[in-house]
Amino acid sequence: MGPQNTDFIVVVDYDHCSYCGACVAVCPPDCITLHDATLIIDTQACTVCKRCIPACPTGALSLAEVKA
Amino acid sequence: MKNAYDVVVIGAGPAGSIAARTTAQAGLSTLLIEKRQEIGSPVRCGEAAGRPSVEEFIPLDPKWICAEVHRYSVYNAEGDCISVPPEEDTVILERKIFDRELAHSAAGAGAEVVVKARATGLIRNGQGVEGVKMVVQGEPREVQATIVIGADGTESQTPRWAGLKSIPQLKNYYSAAQYLMTGIDIDPHICQYHIGWSIAPGGYGWVFPKGDRQANIGIVIWTDPKETKTAIQYLNEFIAARFPGKSILAQVVGGIPVTDVLPEMATGGYMVVGDAAHQSDPLTAGGITNSMCGGLFAAEVAVEAIKAGDTSAKRLKKYEQRWDAAFGKTYRRLFRIRQAVLKIPDAKLNRMITEASKLDAEKMSLKGIFFIVLKSHPQLLLEVAPYFLGQ
Repeated sequence: MGPQNTDFIVVVDYDHCSYCGACVAVCPPDCITLHDATLIIDTQACTVCKRCIPACPTGALSLAEVKA
Repeated sequence: MKNAYDVVVIGAGPAGSIAARTTAQAGLSTLLIEKRQEIGSPVRCGEAAGRPSVEEFIPLDPKWICAEVHRYSVYNAEGDCISVPPEEDTVILERKIFDRELAHSAAGAGAEVVVKARATGLIRNGQGVEGVKMVVQGEPREVQATIVIGADGTESQTPRWAGLKSIPQLKNYYSAAQYLMTGIDIDPHICQYHIGWSIAPGGYGWVFPKGDRQANIGIVIWTDPKETKTAIQYLNEFIAARFPGKSILAQVVGGIPVTDVLPEMATGGYMVVGDAAHQSDPLTAGGITNSMCGGLFAAEVAVEAIKAGDTSAKRLKKYEQRWDAAFGKTYRRLFRIRQAVLKIPDAKLNRMITEASKLDAEKMSLKGIFFIVLKSHPQLLLEVAPYFLGQ
């Protein structure tokens, strides 16, 4: 949400992700796409609102710092 | 697959299959698409459902009944328990087979069922929705539809594509994890619920028998940004404490939106049903047969609307009215109870169950038990009442 967060992105840990889509439903900008066994986050559209992180039952989503 | 249908249903879970079956039975050309390669997989829930409610839609078949439930037992963290008969006869389903049977019945009624077909968008005009953009086995397709029914589950995107406000608030969103476990020696006719903040904050744990010493064992917690542990971590702790060393045959996880009633479930040419419409019971998050009712209501409204030649938002809002008439009052009450229970401190909830466990509850309902407990312990009533009255 805003420039103060642009140094962080949400990343998926595929060892934990079960492709259930719990994150898709709560994402306001609709930037997460779920295929059969692929989860893709459009980091350009992502506002880093972080709602998806606690929604994930397996803890597969987290913030990662992007170094300039 | 044709280029145009009267009705396109997105998602072949119980709600979608019932919707497609109903419109096909009424003689409408119907397409039912499923994004996964296999209907019924992965399984999404604890698989408990009311037997009479299921029978309203499909005759019972031993192929997909794993267990019959005679009692529900509610445990607190200390292991005290109240045991009551369920409000209606309950069965544990084998969803993998059950879901496929429902899709099979939709196809039998004349619907065209296609798997590995993923909706990527809706085609809209000024009045509303008039078709679906999809990828079918890798090929992009556009299919026209007089009415689109979104049954795309908890990970639903179609309502927002249709312009409806459907994104759940985090406090009304459950995060759940479940294992199918084997070597579990429990009474094969009792469903266990385990409540307490240490076990499952804002939710509960469950142990549902699946026959042959197998059980669905799961945890559902509320989605709280301050929570540091995930649903599956709580589940692992629950298993370590109660079923150590037992084998896990399958793992299922997912989110469940719960609310009293979603304010908007229809717009021009579009209706949303099932988990996508937050149609699970707001207290227990159970929703198989309720979702099937949602699918039925939407399909009935679709049939009437297409016959009348009017698929405007105003016309399809009849579906919202039908849902509200059937479930609105109950869901609003259950949602209030959920909000109240969430605020009761663990110690008080624990004591209520401990007191209730001392009663001879052989023939009593859960409501009756809590009434007696509260009546015989006025102090507890005074302590708990504000949480309910505060709403």
